Amino acid sequence: MEAGDVGKKALAAAIDHTELRVNASYGDIRRLCLEAAAYGFASVVVYPVNVPLAAQLLENTLVKVTTVVGFHSGAYTTEGKVLETNDAISKGAEEIDFVMNVGAFKGRNYELVRDEMRAIKAAAEGLVTKVILETCLLTDEEKARACEIAKEVGLDYVKTSTGFGARGATVEDVRLMRQVVGQEMGVKASGGIRTSQDAMAMLEAGASRLGTSAGVAIVEGLST
Amino acid sequence: MRRVEESAKGSNRMKEEALARKIKTGIQGTEITEDDVRQDIERAKKYPFTAYAVDTPYLVLAKDLLDGTGILLTAPVSYPLGGMTLKTRLDQIAFAIRVGADEINPSLNFNAVKSGDFASILDEVKRMAAAAGDDLDVIVIPQLHILTNDEKLRLCRTILEGGVCAIKTNGHGSLCRPEDVLLVRREFGDAFSIEASGGIRTTQQALDLLDAGADFIHTSTAYSVLADIGKP
Repeated sequence: MEAGDVGKKALAAAIDHTELRVNASYGDIRRLCLEAAAYGFASVVVYPVNVPLAAQLLENTLVKVTTVVGFHSGAYTTEGKVLETNDAISKGAEEIDFVMNVGAFKGRNYELVRDEMRAIKAAAEGLVTKVILETCLLTDEEKARACEIAKEVGLDYVKTSTGFGARGATVEDVRLMRQVVGQEMGVKASGGIRTSQDAMAMLEAGASRLGTSAGVAIVEGLST
Repeated sequence: MRRVEESAKGSNRMKEEALARKIKTGIQGTEITEDDVRQDIERAKKYPFTAYAVDTPYLVLAKDLLDGTGILLTAPVSYPLGGMTLKTRLDQIAFAIRVGADEINPSLNFNAVKSGDFASILDEVKRMAAAAGDDLDVIVIPQLHILTNDEKLRLCRTILEGGVCAIKTNGHGSLCRPEDVLLVRREFGDAFSIEASGGIRTTQQALDLLDAGADFIHTSTAYSVLADIGKP
């Protein structure tokens, strides 16, 4: 094995291979899952409707099935997000990426935000939970505060973006988030990560997981 | 002279009211706070809008604030991306009934549409319509802008077959084109109530879509749509 292959494998293992296009087809989900298994990506990220297909295709592989809850606005009731989490898990989801209630957070209702994170963590007991902050809508102070709440609740990851906001992850956001949550918690950079250079910059800034639909190009582009 | 001005003003007000009756509005989105909802509804209450939409955390509040205005309350279902499961959709419909919403806007499973899986769409539409029953009007979102003409027609046929006869053309972040409204109207006659939505910001856009056959205009920027109605 060449040195470059070790780097590629490590990089692939940090990638959540993502297909959340509204106009994707079942064929796109199949391709996504086959690529994830071939490259050794950490997980595939699909809509809840596509969880059964992905779970079936990835049975007997190490690739996890991640789904999104309260996506993409996060503007759903806590009860609704918990029901959606339970349903996704019953259909085969193994990691839950949920969108924070940003509206409540902006209205300084931190108690609702905290209780909601707790409720989803409890619903997804034993599984990896990631809260999407949608950092493009938050001030630096707000990003830090949201990270503190997520850390206090004991979620597994804070995640930058849905990919449907005004912009995706930035190196600055990832650095800030890593600084606040410390080394014990995961930071997932997502949105707008297209190239190997983007990916390496996010990892250097402190990201431990990358959400991207360009995983294959990113891994293949590593040695060049 | 003064009387002429006043009468022109009165006629402008009538034109504005007539257009407002064709408008469904609301405030939805990631960063919307409770205060935003309160302020926006206070303003909306002064107009005879047909319906008002909020995200699920604010349905109870909006129901209370809209009480007595005659403006219907619209609840989202799997909005806007359509990626939620049927179970989640049915949970959201049950919630909409519980809080007293008048109508729902479910986004369909667009990945199924793009896979040609109309059997799954038919089942989804039927079961959502059954869950809504007599409690809620169902206005489904086909997201016409991401579909080919063939997909648009097949999907609309499937929606009708599933027992739903109202569509809201597009979702957030898209542009509703008069051609799409014309296409559905031409193919299906009066079988559908058509609510044009997606990127409607001006009076002219709204009038063009109504001319093309839309019954309603859905816009989050209702006041900019009303802004030019009285102008020559």
